[in-house]
Amino acid sequence: MKNNPQPPKLFLRFFRWYCRPELRDSIEGDLLELYHERVKEKGRRKADVFFIKDVMQLLRPHIMRMKDRKQINHYGMFKNHFPARHFAKIGWRNLMRNKSYAAINFTGLTIGIAACLLIFLIVQFETSFDNFHAKKDHIYRIVTEFQGPDGIRPGSGTPFPTAAALRQDFPLKEVAAIYRNTGGYYSPLEKTQGAPVKKFREDYAYYAEPQFFDIFDFGWLAGDRKTALSEPNTAVLTEDEANKFFGDWHEAIGKVIKFENKFDFKITGVLKNPPPNTDIPIQLMMSYATLRVKSSTFYENMEDWVSINGNNQCFVVLSTNLSQKQFDAQLKGFVKKHKPADYVKDGMRLQPLSDMHYNTEVGVFSGHSFSKQLIKVVSLIGMFLLTIACVNFINLATAQAVNRSKEVGVRKVLGSNRGQLVLQFISETFIITLFAVIFSVLIAEMVLPLLNSLLNTKLNRNFITDPVLLLFLCALIIGVTLLSGFYPALVLSGFNPIEALKNKIKAGRQRSISLRRTLVVVQFCIAQVLVIGTLVVVSQMDYFRNKSLGFDKDAIITVQFPGDSISRSKLNSLRDQLLSLRGIRDISYSFASPSDNGGWGSDFKYNNAPKQTDFNAQLKWADAAYFKLYNLQFVAGQPYGNSDTITGYVVNETLLSKLGVRDPKDAIGKYIGLWDEKFTYAPITGVVKDFNTRSLKRDIPPVIMGSWKNVFQKINIKLHPATINQTLTAIERLCNSTFPDGLYEYQFLDKKIADFYNNDQRLSQLYKIFACIAIFISCLGLYGLVSFMAVQRTKEVGIRKTLGASVIDIVYLFSREFTLLILIAFIIAAPLGYFFMRKWLDDFAYRITIGPGTFLLAIVASLLIAWLTVGYKAVKSALANPVKSLRTE
Amino acid sequence: MKRFQLGEFEEIVLLTIGVLFGEAYGVAIKKYIEDRLHRNVSMGALHTALVRLEDKGYIKSREGESTPERAGRPKKYFEITALGKKAMEYSKTTRDSLWSALPKNIFGIRKA
Repeated sequence: MKNNPQPPKLFLRFFRWYCRPELRDSIEGDLLELYHERVKEKGRRKADVFFIKDVMQLLRPHIMRMKDRKQINHYGMFKNHFPARHFAKIGWRNLMRNKSYAAINFTGLTIGIAACLLIFLIVQFETSFDNFHAKKDHIYRIVTEFQGPDGIRPGSGTPFPTAAALRQDFPLKEVAAIYRNTGGYYSPLEKTQGAPVKKFREDYAYYAEPQFFDIFDFGWLAGDRKTALSEPNTAVLTEDEANKFFGDWHEAIGKVIKFENKFDFKITGVLKNPPPNTDIPIQLMMSYATLRVKSSTFYENMEDWVSINGNNQCFVVLSTNLSQKQFDAQLKGFVKKHKPADYVKDGMRLQPLSDMHYNTEVGVFSGHSFSKQLIKVVSLIGMFLLTIACVNFINLATAQAVNRSKEVGVRKVLGSNRGQLVLQFISETFIITLFAVIFSVLIAEMVLPLLNSLLNTKLNRNFITDPVLLLFLCALIIGVTLLSGFYPALVLSGFNPIEALKNKIKAGRQRSISLRRTLVVVQFCIAQVLVIGTLVVVSQMDYFRNKSLGFDKDAIITVQFPGDSISRSKLNSLRDQLLSLRGIRDISYSFASPSDNGGWGSDFKYNNAPKQTDFNAQLKWADAAYFKLYNLQFVAGQPYGNSDTITGYVVNETLLSKLGVRDPKDAIGKYIGLWDEKFTYAPITGVVKDFNTRSLKRDIPPVIMGSWKNVFQKINIKLHPATINQTLTAIERLCNSTFPDGLYEYQFLDKKIADFYNNDQRLSQLYKIFACIAIFISCLGLYGLVSFMAVQRTKEVGIRKTLGASVIDIVYLFSREFTLLILIAFIIAAPLGYFFMRKWLDDFAYRITIGPGTFLLAIVASLLIAWLTVGYKAVKSALANPVKSLRTE
Repeated sequence: MKRFQLGEFEEIVLLTIGVLFGEAYGVAIKKYIEDRLHRNVSMGALHTALVRLEDKGYIKSREGESTPERAGRPKKYFEITALGKKAMEYSKTTRDSLWSALPKNIFGIRKA
């Protein structure tokens, strides 16, 4: 029998695997008997084939083993239907038995999920910008690429004639120019006389060509979108604005609004309020044709290919057969054709609409760009918070597993298999998760208004009906359930029933302890990275707020005045009147404050050079009093004299170093000529120390200062700090009587400068909250673990105390391990935090260095908080009477 | 309503077990049906029928001896239970009554 042929082993094994155990041997015998018979009759190969055929044909429901056959349990948990009620009942009893653990688990999960949910809403909002336009995939903005000494810098603006020329040169119809009009005020032309004139500032007022509404889908309530803006001096309003101006938008059509008492606009249409997720938030849209009217400020700019204003933007829709690349190439020729030779270096390219919101370099009308990197960071934080919450769950569930070992033992003895137990524990997790998600939705709903005011966003409020969000919630429930429920379920279901029933399973003696330690380390690592990040962000924000800018900014206000010639003629008498007020120390007229958004830049000729410089200097127009008022320090020379026109310049140190002038004294007396040398040709009279002319995120540019009354638009007033309030009312009265057509508004300079960092400030608040949540959830878990340990080690503590251990020894016993774990977490977290925050700081020209203090603070704070959490339980169990703990059995 | 459930193939297997009386195990049943009725019987179909018959309580099994060809695997012998006999009888009587109700000429015409 030794050389007996054997049937194919693989199939035999396969058969043995799937066959029901009680049938296995007899059927296998039949198979083998047949096989050997067939080998004799038909040969081996045919016998093999028949064998395989037999095995495959035996693969039937009645022969295959089924998992839940013949098992018993009077709760019905092992029948084929899912025993939801049974699981719910047992799960609920368990939760009620350990209320504190349940509360810790539930709280941690709820907070984690709520944070995650809110972050999802933020990300959803930030990624939805301008996605409601039907042509969104083919819409592009034309941006200018400024060729600077340190590379290309894209800018949002294009010369005014660009749109018209594009329509002429290319077979494109959907090209639209839009110009945002900042400043000024608008008032409805009331028929009823006598009532005080309403004056409104509109943050988002534009001049746009009618084609704008062919490109972008903003809804119309009244008026014809094709023709509404084709005539000069026409405008459309949004519903809210129309209600504001005229009481009821239905009555708006045909009415007139005035801009600063200068231009009239007839209302030809009413727009629906634009959705919050657009980077072109419209309140008022005036016809672009108005700019071409002779009296317009921009009349001369309409054929000017040199000046570029960031507020004048151009949008196009490319036809499907034209790629972005092809059109970019064609734009090169377009620039060459139209721009003067000296300016051709500043080229044009397309920027897809989908890039606009994420590109913080170019900027958008809404001022609310949000980089992709930031989206990644925020989502990562969301995932981190969720992970921390899940880790709590895992740790507490495995620590608690001992308490349920008997239940597992009994269930196994009654015939349940591992799969069913896993299912049971996972479904318990599912229930907790489900409730946590429901609760976190409620929390999110409550917190959302706060978050909206914190971030200055309009996040979707009735988010519960959003299908995407529902999907996300379902994914969240499933993900959290599996993430936090699977491992504990495996541990619990893996107990040996004999050991479990004999009470041999002890906490802390299992392999899961090392995993628990690892998880605590992971948790605190995440928390500490967030803490370090937050500390760095906060101190950078402090630095922004408190760094000396090189000029005075306290107790100084700026007041805008109307820019017409009549108003300007009153400036001198106004100055005298203001200075006679007692609370005013000094006043000065200027174009802008020392540190201001936007600005005026130009190249220039230095010392009668034949060519313009290859860099732009920032131009700051201010009268001679400006230097004293702002306490600007001179390194050489002195301020120019008082004059209405340019008689001299003051430059800064950066400008000289750019020009290669070593000694500031050498520059005094050298002549500077700007674009039009007829009235800008003047000598340098002084050099000031560098001061920060813009946000500290950017470095100090070269600066040229001169006195040019025709562009002044601001009164800078230095006040006596003690009497600010009285002085302000006096100033208001004076300004209102001097400029009856103006809209009086003042701004404190320090407040204005702080506003540069609004976005960062908001984010830093958000980080603070997230870091707190991370630490809170981690400590919650720690508290749970320690209180569990305290219960487990009651006897041990009792014995130690009778043998002479002091309270401190016991507290040390409890906190030693966690201290070590947190230290390990810190060792991992510190370099990570350092690395990420260095990258973040790299974006700023002026930044703090991350010193050891930050890390020290992070670790000390984490340890202190952890000790406080652990300490409470530890001290409590250390103070317990050992007689009590030893007597109870 | 249905007192006894018995499929066509199950009935044949049940009858064969009766015929083989005490010698009925997998391979023997298979061969007998193949020889006698000239139809192919797959192992899968046969064993499924056996399992179902046993589940219904029409047959019972005992483990028997083994042979070298079976590599030590025992033969599983089947015999009909009392319930199984009742089921067979029920099946036969229902058919008989149907046969007797058949019009006499149904075959006559065709033969003629």
